[in-house]
Amino acid sequence: MDSWVRFNAQSQAKERVIRAAQYACTLLGYTLQKGGAAAELRKTIGQLEAHMSLTRKLLRLGNSVEALESAKRAIHLSDSVLRLCLTISHLNRAMYFACDNVLWAGKTGIISKLDMKKWSERSFRYYLFALILNLTRDLYELRLLIDCEERHRASKHPPSPHPGSASADQLSSPSSSPVALNAPPVMLAGLRRQLHLLATVLYSNPPLLLDLLKNSCDIFIPLDRLGIYTTGSGFVGLCGLTSSILSILTLIHPWLKLKP
Amino acid sequence: MDAVVQFTSQSQGRDRIFRATQYACALSIYLLRNKIGRKELVVKLKSLEAAMSAGRKLFRLGNTINSIEAAKRTMQLSDRVLRLCLTAANMTRALYFVCDNALWGRNVGLIRDINKERWSLNASRCYFASLVMSLSRDVYVILQLMSQRARDRHFRQKMDAHLNENPEVAGVVIPQLDAFLFLLLEIIKSQPAVALDTLKNICDLFIPLDRLGIYRSNAGVVGFCGLISSLIGIVTLAQPKFKIKP
Repeated sequence: MDSWVRFNAQSQAKERVIRAAQYACTLLGYTLQKGGAAAELRKTIGQLEAHMSLTRKLLRLGNSVEALESAKRAIHLSDSVLRLCLTISHLNRAMYFACDNVLWAGKTGIISKLDMKKWSERSFRYYLFALILNLTRDLYELRLLIDCEERHRASKHPPSPHPGSASADQLSSPSSSPVALNAPPVMLAGLRRQLHLLATVLYSNPPLLLDLLKNSCDIFIPLDRLGIYTTGSGFVGLCGLTSSILSILTLIHPWLKLKP
Repeated sequence: MDAVVQFTSQSQGRDRIFRATQYACALSIYLLRNKIGRKELVVKLKSLEAAMSAGRKLFRLGNTINSIEAAKRTMQLSDRVLRLCLTAANMTRALYFVCDNALWGRNVGLIRDINKERWSLNASRCYFASLVMSLSRDVYVILQLMSQRARDRHFRQKMDAHLNENPEVAGVVIPQLDAFLFLLLEIIKSQPAVALDTLKNICDLFIPLDRLGIYRSNAGVVGFCGLISSLIGIVTLAQPKFKIKP
C-alpha cells in the first residue's frame, strides 16, 4: 500500500497508468468489434478511451518545459553520438508536447476552428522522429556493448594461429573440412555466434532491453496513425499497452531506467 | 524553471494548479456573466472549467488509498485530540473520494444505475465533515499554542507593555478581548503554517456549505474561496515549511 502511495505521488506514474488503461480500451474495443458485441458497450469503451486521451493531454500540459530541460542536460554528454541523438530526441518530444497542448486546447473548445487532423498529424510526426532517434541511440549502445563483449571474449580466449589445430576457442568455426563445404556452416556458426552475443549483452543489460522493447512497441503507434504502416487498432492497442506496462516497470524500479 | 518542473512532477502539485485554474474560471465566469460582448469568452471559460473538473476526477481515482494510508498513520499519534480529529478527517475524506470515484464512473458511462444527485450530495457531506474535523484540529492547535504562549514569562512582559501603552485609546474597551487578540496575532505571526491551514479550511468550507444549501452564497464567492484555498495549497506544497505538521 505504501509503495502505491509513493508511486501515485509521481505525476508521470499516473499518466502511465492512464495510458495503459487507454490502450487497454483500444484493444478491448477491437476484440469487442471482432467478437460482435453490443454497440452500446463499444460506444462506452470508445467514449472512455476518448476521455482518458483528453485527460492525459491535460496532464501533459507542462511537459514541453520538462523536455526542453532534458535537452539542455543532454547537450553536456561526453559521447557525441549519444549527445546528438538524445538532444534532438528531446527537442522533438518538446515539439510533440507543444502540438499536443494545442490539440487539447482545440478539443476542449478554448481555441475554436482548429484543424484537428493537421495538428494531430504534426504531433505524430514529431513523436515518430523522437522514437526513431531513441531507437538509434538504443542500437548504438547495443553496438558498443557487443563490441565490448567481443573484445572481452577475445581477450579471455585468444584465437589460435593455425586453423587446423584443435583449438580451445569456442568462437572459431570448424575448419578441418575443405573450404567449399564450409561456407554455409561457417555462416550459420557466425550468425549463431552473433545472436548468442546479442542475447548475452541484452540479458546482462535489462535497462537497454526494456528501452529497446518499449521503443519498438511504441513506434507502431505513429506508423499506424500516420498511415505509413497500418496495422489496425488491435495491434496498436497491444503495442501501446505493452510499452505502458514496461514504462510503469521502469518507474517502480528506477534501476531499470536507461541512463543517461 | 527547475523548481517549476520539480513542483509539477508531483501529482499533487499539478492537481492544485488545475484546481486553482478551475476556480479562477468559475470566478471569472461569475464576474463576466452580465457583460455583453463577452459571451464567447464565457463559453470558453466554461469549457475550460469543465475540462479541468473532469480531468481532476480521473486523477483522483487512486486517492482513496492515499487517505486510508494517511488515516493509518494518524492513528498512531500520541495526542488524543489530534488523533481523533485527523483520523476522522482522513476517513471522511476517503469516503468523499469513494463517492467522487462513483460519480466519475457515472459520468463516463461505466456505472449506469446510480443516482447522480444523491451521490453528489453524499460527496459534499463527506467533504464537509472532513473540513469540520480539520478545522477542529486547527482550533485545538491554536488554543494549545495560545495557552503555551500565555505561560511564557517573556511574552507576558510584552503583553503588559502593549496593554499599558495607550490606556486612553478609546478602542481598548475590553482589555481581556484586546489581550486575547494580541495573543492570537502573536501566534499567527510566529506559526504561519497553522494560520494558513486555518484560512485554507475556512475558505474551503464555503464550497460544501453552498452545495448543501446550509449557507447559500453565490458562484462568485465559491469561486473566490476555492481560488484562495488552491493558492494556499500551492504555497504549502512549494514551501514545505508552511505545511502544518503532523
